[in-house]
Amino acid sequence: MENLFAITGKGYVIVAADTTSARSIVKMKVDEDKIKVLSPHLLMAYSGEPGDTIQFSEYVERNIRLFQIRNTYPLGPSAAASWIRRSLAESLRSRKPYAVNLLLGGYDTNKHEPHLFWVDYLGTMTEVPFAAHGYGSYFVLSLLDRYHNPEASLEEGLATLKRCIAEVTKRVVVSPGQYKVKVVDKDGAREIEI
Amino acid sequence: MPDMVPMSVAQPQERQFNPYSDNGGTILAVAGANFSVIAGDTRQSEGYSIQTRYAPKVFRLTDKAVLAVNGFAADGNMFVKKVKQRLEWYRHAHSKDMPLRAVARLIQSMLYARRFFPYYVYNILGGIEEDGSGAVYSFDPVGSYEREACRAAGAASSLVQPFLDNQIYFKNQTPAPGTSHPAHLALTDVLALVIDSFTSATERHIEVGDGLEMYVVLAKGSPLQGLELVQGVQEMSTTTDGERVFIVRRNLKRD
Amino acid sequence: MNTFADRFSTTGALAELRKAQKAADEEEFSDAMWGSEAGFGSLAKGVPTFSVPNIPDPTAFLRLHTDDHADPTCKIKISHGTTTLAFRFQGGVIVAVDSRATAGSYVASGTVKKVIEINPYLLGTMAGGAADCQYWETYLGMHCRLHELRNRERISVSAASKYLSNLVYSYKGMGLSMGTMICGWDKTGPAVFYVDSDGTRLKGDLFSVGSGSTFAYGVLDQGYRWDLTDEEAQELGRRSIYAAGHRDAFSGNTCNLYHVKEDGWKFIGNYDISKMHYDGPGNVLGATGGGYGYELRVEGLSSANPPVAAQA
Repeated sequence: MENLFAITGKGYVIVAADTTSARSIVKMKVDEDKIKVLSPHLLMAYSGEPGDTIQFSEYVERNIRLFQIRNTYPLGPSAAASWIRRSLAESLRSRKPYAVNLLLGGYDTNKHEPHLFWVDYLGTMTEVPFAAHGYGSYFVLSLLDRYHNPEASLEEGLATLKRCIAEVTKRVVVSPGQYKVKVVDKDGAREIEI
Repeated sequence: MPDMVPMSVAQPQERQFNPYSDNGGTILAVAGANFSVIAGDTRQSEGYSIQTRYAPKVFRLTDKAVLAVNGFAADGNMFVKKVKQRLEWYRHAHSKDMPLRAVARLIQSMLYARRFFPYYVYNILGGIEEDGSGAVYSFDPVGSYEREACRAAGAASSLVQPFLDNQIYFKNQTPAPGTSHPAHLALTDVLALVIDSFTSATERHIEVGDGLEMYVVLAKGSPLQGLELVQGVQEMSTTTDGERVFIVRRNLKRD
Repeated sequence: MNTFADRFSTTGALAELRKAQKAADEEEFSDAMWGSEAGFGSLAKGVPTFSVPNIPDPTAFLRLHTDDHADPTCKIKISHGTTTLAFRFQGGVIVAVDSRATAGSYVASGTVKKVIEINPYLLGTMAGGAADCQYWETYLGMHCRLHELRNRERISVSAASKYLSNLVYSYKGMGLSMGTMICGWDKTGPAVFYVDSDGTRLKGDLFSVGSGSTFAYGVLDQGYRWDLTDEEAQELGRRSIYAAGHRDAFSGNTCNLYHVKEDGWKFIGNYDISKMHYDGPGNVLGATGGGYGYELRVEGLSSANPPVAAQA
């Protein structure tokens, strides 16, 4: 099963997603990137119905890009999150809704604050200090209640993320093997090897 | 036509087998320091029809044990009958009444013996323990049980239990500075709470009403604690030198 | 076809129960019932007998009337939803459980004793059907005592758990629902066995059972080491049940904590989960002070990272 995790820390958001793409009992791909860089300071991790995920994330990616081209400046994290949530909510009320769950991690370059939004396929959105989607969330949320530190350095944040991945790998029956990790901070978005 | 099938080729046929019904009503019990109050309304209904306005749900088992049953009335009456029979046998074998904690365990085994064909009955047992303390035991239909200070069961349990939690356990109440909540309430206070519980449940639940029967069990040698002043109180016990059982009846709204 | 075969077969649990019922119908009360042995009857006769509805498929009947997953409006509610955990470490066994019983979304009780004190050296935990666990673990306690009387020594945790496992396995498919940990100390030292109504029996160092178990594991796994001190271990058990009570709606109210050592089990305490959230467990061994709640722990901390110049 798919797992998405995200953690905020002192001036950054770490977003992690497993890299398996499964169909039935077969792993079709083991290095799939499920985290899109939507703008210089915005990351979006997605999971859900195969097909919907790609279609919806690319639709979002192009529209966020279009906004930046038209207006010179990109949308801030909360504005982008609101637009994305609205898109999902409108899709939910259409003939064929997208079944996609999201984690949106962004850095507000004006207020120098990291922001993290948890969004599900029904269009439920909430801003949180840490978040997870998938079966992993049942193990990781209590772990983060215990270990998450809003002022952790990037190294400490990555150590906490590693705890989460270790826990899920240990306890979930069909747990994915590898994760892709991206971080967004004042310097923009980038991938990190763990 | 099924009736026309010759007997020689008749095969067992499975039909919808539903031996259960819900007859409404509510019961509750409260344990005090040296007394116990067990109460129930007397309305018996099925769906929106009232079958009778007087069907007791609370029964005196011995001078120290009172059992309230709620759920499916036929199962409940049968169950009380069988418990009484077992307690009578115990008296013949041991020349004394079964202690309350033993009655509780007996009820567990009798309920669990029907694990695969349960009695649809919620039981609350109230009375006096061997150490003289008031006790309440509550059971689920298949026999899991626990000793508590108060418990409501039946149709309006979700209305009555929160009220009891607040007024008896003082849940979500903070005592005034320099004071503390009493560990046990006085008998007259408990009776007032029980009456209020049932009048309120009658107002808000259609399956509750008609009559209220409250049994009071007093520990051996305990004073009457104001019970003698309660209007219409009747003694039910066989002797006055052991634990004593009293009944108090009240009318509830009949609409 | 299966129900047809069951009805006429002479072996298997169903046929056994049918026979038992026939025997019970003929002689409804054994001699033991006249005395004080209650429903357990004479132990020499073996397992107590049960009434079964006289219909082709009694299991389907039970499921129809008691399974609130299949039918939320069913009349007989069997309480579900729990968090229990037990782990072995250098200093013995820690057993911690919550105390909530739910019937649908109604909190039927907040004071349930989910640790069953089988005897001074053995504890069992309760998850699944409350009555199933309470009844069979009490029954197990009687047999553990008989083992002591017959063999002049205490039963091992392994043997006791095997006894329970075999017993519930003989009722497989009849609708029993239990997930229990049998914990104790015997000649081999501290021991924890997981036993469930499927017939699974596992020896292990660390288990958690119930709807809140995943949340408990999240904290437990990360804090667990074999060489935990007694105080650290007790705190970990408490903290893990708190985590489950906080995140799982079907768990909560209070935490009951037990510690098993060489000289038997000891009840450590009862801790209110809301109190643990806001004030911590109180002045107890191993507590680090302060509430466990995330909001309290991170109060005043901020993830904002303004440049030094902007701060001025």
